Amino acid sequence: MSGNEHERWKDEIAAYLLGTLAPGEAADVERHVAGCQDCQREMRWLRPAVERLAEDVELVEPSPDLRIKVMAEVREDVKRAAPERERRSLFSGLTGWRPVAAIATVALLVAVVAGYTIRDGESGGSPEATTVATAGKPPGVTATMVSSGDSGTLKLENVRNMPPDRVLEAWVQREGTVEPVKALFVPDRQGRASTTIPDTTGVEVVMVTAEPRGGSDSPTSAAMVTLEMPE
Amino acid sequence: MKPERLADEELMPLIADKQPDAFEVFYDRHGKVAFSLAYRIVGERAAAEDVIQEAFISVWRSGARFDRAKGSVRSWMLGIVRNRAIDLLRSKTGRAPLDFDDDSILEQRRAPQMTEAEALRNETAEEVRGAIGELPGEQSKVIELAYFGGFSHSEISDMLGIPLGTVKGRMRLGLEKIRGELAEGLA
Repeated sequence: MSGNEHERWKDEIAAYLLGTLAPGEAADVERHVAGCQDCQREMRWLRPAVERLAEDVELVEPSPDLRIKVMAEVREDVKRAAPERERRSLFSGLTGWRPVAAIATVALLVAVVAGYTIRDGESGGSPEATTVATAGKPPGVTATMVSSGDSGTLKLENVRNMPPDRVLEAWVQREGTVEPVKALFVPDRQGRASTTIPDTTGVEVVMVTAEPRGGSDSPTSAAMVTLEMPE
Repeated sequence: MKPERLADEELMPLIADKQPDAFEVFYDRHGKVAFSLAYRIVGERAAAEDVIQEAFISVWRSGARFDRAKGSVRSWMLGIVRNRAIDLLRSKTGRAPLDFDDDSILEQRRAPQMTEAEALRNETAEEVRGAIGELPGEQSKVIELAYFGGFSHSEISDMLGIPLGTVKGRMRLGLEKIRGELAEGLA
């Protein structure tokens, strides 16, 4: 490469570092620099000068509200992501939201959603959908969700060996947020249990956990049932 | 170890792991200079705050993308802020009415709507500081227009009525001079 050519590339590198080149021109510079050690050195040499420009601005104090807004958004992200993370871990590792999962999972086999069956109502009433989840391995808990309008009935079977100090609590997830369903329920001697989900609007996932009597504000054990609702 | 005691490069994996405390430290370290840069570019506090919020949240959501081979965390962050501020500035240019003569809006107008005289007046009206303030006027002018004004080299060439090659040459000379002074300062 001639001396003039080399000088031209150095000019291009300066323009590149200042962000003034069109995308195609910038790509040309990157390609050239990738294969030219002299130009790599030039780019390394000049880069701190551009960085200095940003540091040299007159300092202006941002509003304290800005920090609050940024951190609020960050914490909201964390809050939104938590149920999703937990749900993923339930699907993959079948671990609980909290380490105390073992309390309930010893006695209860965890059901894995295997599929859905959706059928339109046959009685001529309001459209009805039935969602069926089957256990991953027998004798796992089976869950069936019968929807009617905006509400639904969640029916469980094969809920065996429930510890006496535990009750069943259902949870619904909407837009990544998990909320408890108010009513608590217990299985009968045949291992059957059911509860009503008063509002199924926007529900993505229904879960059931074993909780201390009186219920919990957030799940304290692994889900024995995780039912993904069809869209 | 508390995040406050970690270097930026050590904070980044924690941010990638979605730890808000680490991000809070990161914001406290760089928020002020980042805001100052955005304000210098967009010229109004509300717009600068929007830039900062977007830039920092984008870092929070993609913290793992930091590439230490391309410089420090701080310069990476400021590069993101600068790019967003310039994007905002240029998008505003697209919306600015051509015959609008309110000064506050005029300051946001950019080529090709802005005349050469207007652009030069705006850029040179800013007090040039630090290293760039030490440069010969012809060099500081092209660097100011490029870095803080977001003009392309061809727009600068049109505005100043000088060839493209001259624009790039002045950019390089200016940067070389700043770099030389930085090196002397370190010596």
